[in-house]
Amino acid sequence: MIEKILIANRGEIAVRIIRACREMGIETVAVYSEADKEALHTQLADEAVCIGPAQASESYLNMQNLISAALVSGADAIHPGFGFLSENAKFAELCEQCEITFIGPDSKVIGKMGNKTEARATMIAAGIPVIRGTNGAVLDLEEGKKEAARIGYPVIIKAALGGGGKGMRTAQSEEEFESCFVTARKEAEKAFGDGTMYIEHFVEHPRHIEFQIIADSYGNIVHLGERDCSIQRNHQKMIEECPCAALSDELRKKMGETAVKAARAAGYTNAGTVEFLLEKDGTFYFMEMNTRIQVEHPVTECVTGIDLIKEQIRIANGGELTFRQEDIRMTGHAIECRINAEIPERNFTPSAGRITDLHLPGGNGIRVDTAVYSGCEVLPYYDSMLAKLIVHGKDRREAVDKMRSALGEIIIEGIGTNVDYQYEISENEDFISGKTDVDFIRRLSSETA
Amino acid sequence: MKLHNMFKKTVGKEHGTSKNTKVRNVPEGLLKKCNKCGAAILAEDAVNNNYICPKCHGYFRMHAGRRIEMIADPGTFEEWDAKMKFENPLEFSGYEEKVRRLREQTGLDEAVVTGKVMVAGHPAVIGVCDGRFMMASMGEVVGEKITRAIERATKENLPVILFACSGGARMQEGIVSLMQMAKTAAALKRHSEKGLLYVSVLTDPTTGGVTASFAMLGDIILAEPNALIGFAGPRVIEQTIGKKLPKGFQRSEFLLEHGFVDRIVERSEMKSVLARILHMHDRTKEKTEESTGETEKIESTTQEDTMPKQVRSKGGISAWERVLLSRKTDRPVGTDYVNMLFSDFMEFHGDRLFRDDPAVAGGIAMFGNIPVTVIAQVKGKTTKENVTRNFAMMSPEGYRKTLRLIRQAEKFGRPVICIVDTPGAFCGQEAEEHGQGEAIASNLYELSSIKVPIVSVLIGEGGSGGALALAVADEVWILENSVYSVLSPEGFASILWKDSKRASEAAEVMKLTADDLKCLGIVEQVIREPKSYTSQTMAGVCEELKNMLSVFLKKYGSMDERQLLNHRYDRFRKM
Repeated sequence: MIEKILIANRGEIAVRIIRACREMGIETVAVYSEADKEALHTQLADEAVCIGPAQASESYLNMQNLISAALVSGADAIHPGFGFLSENAKFAELCEQCEITFIGPDSKVIGKMGNKTEARATMIAAGIPVIRGTNGAVLDLEEGKKEAARIGYPVIIKAALGGGGKGMRTAQSEEEFESCFVTARKEAEKAFGDGTMYIEHFVEHPRHIEFQIIADSYGNIVHLGERDCSIQRNHQKMIEECPCAALSDELRKKMGETAVKAARAAGYTNAGTVEFLLEKDGTFYFMEMNTRIQVEHPVTECVTGIDLIKEQIRIANGGELTFRQEDIRMTGHAIECRINAEIPERNFTPSAGRITDLHLPGGNGIRVDTAVYSGCEVLPYYDSMLAKLIVHGKDRREAVDKMRSALGEIIIEGIGTNVDYQYEISENEDFISGKTDVDFIRRLSSETA
Repeated sequence: MKLHNMFKKTVGKEHGTSKNTKVRNVPEGLLKKCNKCGAAILAEDAVNNNYICPKCHGYFRMHAGRRIEMIADPGTFEEWDAKMKFENPLEFSGYEEKVRRLREQTGLDEAVVTGKVMVAGHPAVIGVCDGRFMMASMGEVVGEKITRAIERATKENLPVILFACSGGARMQEGIVSLMQMAKTAAALKRHSEKGLLYVSVLTDPTTGGVTASFAMLGDIILAEPNALIGFAGPRVIEQTIGKKLPKGFQRSEFLLEHGFVDRIVERSEMKSVLARILHMHDRTKEKTEESTGETEKIESTTQEDTMPKQVRSKGGISAWERVLLSRKTDRPVGTDYVNMLFSDFMEFHGDRLFRDDPAVAGGIAMFGNIPVTVIAQVKGKTTKENVTRNFAMMSPEGYRKTLRLIRQAEKFGRPVICIVDTPGAFCGQEAEEHGQGEAIASNLYELSSIKVPIVSVLIGEGGSGGALALAVADEVWILENSVYSVLSPEGFASILWKDSKRASEAAEVMKLTADDLKCLGIVEQVIREPKSYTSQTMAGVCEELKNMLSVFLKKYGSMDERQLLNHRYDRFRKM
């Protein structure tokens, strides 16, 4: 029986979890680094334990100190939040060994889904569509050509040891393949000292669609609809919404069922997310599974009315899901904007310092999840996300209007933020009409630049 | 705004950690507290990290078995004298019971494990102390096992490696334990007299009677980082003298600085370092001569190449200009030559008396497939480095280190190559206090009768006695723009003419240039330099030096001891 939970995190997600616990009558233990003594989560929890110096590696990532804090405070369970140790199989295993409930899936599932090759193999075995690609390394040009034809153009040629776009080329057709393959390999050999290449089908202007999954320990798995997370900058999500404008009811059903199947194949329990890439023609591919609560979970909470954190705790406590797939009803449209301490004009460099004045919006259909307060210090050591603004309207139009109105009301003085940048997006025609894909921000930046 | 104690706590609960009745424990062996930094660490992480704390990099003590696994080629360890009869010589009360209990607890028979192993294919006798057994104190059984292992190594012509870790003599065995010190030392002396190698590895802690016997007698003494090494324990010293000891006192690094440890070796590199040392001392692979035809060929080419050059003109450079060239800061320094001429150089530190002198670097290296001892006076390339290396002006400790390493070379039959580049011996108060004159004199005295070939190469400044102490050799070679003199031209001018400004004039009359020295018969060979001589342009000179060294080693390596020593004696006798 979980009576006391240690929250192994900081910032707004720690506050979000503490609030859920307060509502459930569960005691909370916050952990904090020396720099976070004044942080909201430290002050809001029933108890707080200092776990080390400011650097995350010495505190929020220090498994031994977290376990010790849990044992000393007598916590029954640890909620890892997102980031930090939330997808660390070793940490989950340590909790299991110390008989502390880890609020999340089994450590083995975390390990399996964390390994990209193993996750892909699991999904292929379960009949889940993955991006077509070579199964092993491609050694020469002729073999590469054959593989590319099998996979289907356009293809992306990637170096096995690649990174930072080096050794990567996109070939639109067989005519282009030879020169792309040769230059990519040459680049890879030069940059990484290894010319091992892989070829994958290239998805042009895809949307990033993820499905929220919730599963109990009794084999019940339900999906709670999708989130469209296409508005990203350098793979960092900025805006997430539900439902996705590009999904028909039929496609939603099909993708949702696939997500449930994927979760079942992984042996999943608790809350998780199955990420897909969606092509313009409605083809979709499994990308990865996130074995934790996501930043954007409030979007799903708004449209389904289900409190995901509370469900996580109930499941970890051995509870059975109280709803079936057919009970899930999605109402209205929800959008989340991430408010970050960063300066868009300076290539989004993080900004730290004291928030001297603060005003946050509220009212009907407006939710703000944050850990900042007037006079608090925004620290340079951690993630720059300050707040999440979540709006819920009867349809997308109303949601976008609420988003714009609420953004226009946010005042954060003392540090730089991306509020104005988000406001601009809310006025963008493509955004308003729902014409978004993962290249939206890149297009927006090149227009304004 | 401060938020302290402003929020209401969870509804319907009383708070405070004290009343929490749930007791949950970490499973046995999952976590471990580092006894160095106090951090909680995962036991598994420490094991995977060679028993080193992943947080503070502190070294944990290791079980003998693990230590052997870390060093030995898999499956090669053959234990010797596993079961020895235990006696209680003083009939010390409770001692037998204690030993019996420890045997049960540790599965060890006594505090040392001995036997034979292969290390990267090289056979060696190994002895490893295990601190779990009465802090590996040395009683009769420990002393006996070590002595037997050394004796067997002597008989079978094998090198010995001992990993020391000990609290010292075993008090329960009183005077009998004290005798083990003499017994092990005597056995090592016989082992050494047979020309065999002993490597001592000091681990945390090495103290008392073990330090004062086998631990400090290695031909080569290695230490793990930050190990406590000393005779008297720091607590005892502090109580006796009533003073607080400085931080780092009696740690490996302190001993290195004080000249008692050759090298500090990280645990992860221990096997490879031991393997390299064994390889360079492997007597089974000795004297694999190449065909004589090749020797002659090398000899003839060098003769042709170098001899005519020596009679070439001086190129219109004045003696004073050559003095200035010899001192140029971008000239290659001692370590450049060590790196260019040899492979696998392993530096050994310390005079085993007081200090390690950074003005001179010495150690073993391979010249082709021949193990050699290399000693190089080292100037720095930057001011900072020069300050550390004292501008290659050696202290008495440096000459004593040199002599120690040359004697070591003699024991193992390794030729010696000295690289000379010094403004002179260090002129300072401590240098005099520690016997600068005596140290230089001893080198001249001892080097005259060292039974292995010695060659000295003057690469820059050859300043007086400071240079000569490394140049009592069978041959002395000099680079074109090197100088070698009784003292600096500045000093010469100020003594003779009471005017150091007349240094350039002095340089001309001192006959200190390479060609002058060749004419005087002070040096055998002059090596020509390219116009601008720096570490970038030294490849040609090094090629020539390599050829000359090959010829030298062939020629002097084939002489018998008497011939060699007579030749060296005559070389100086005729001057």
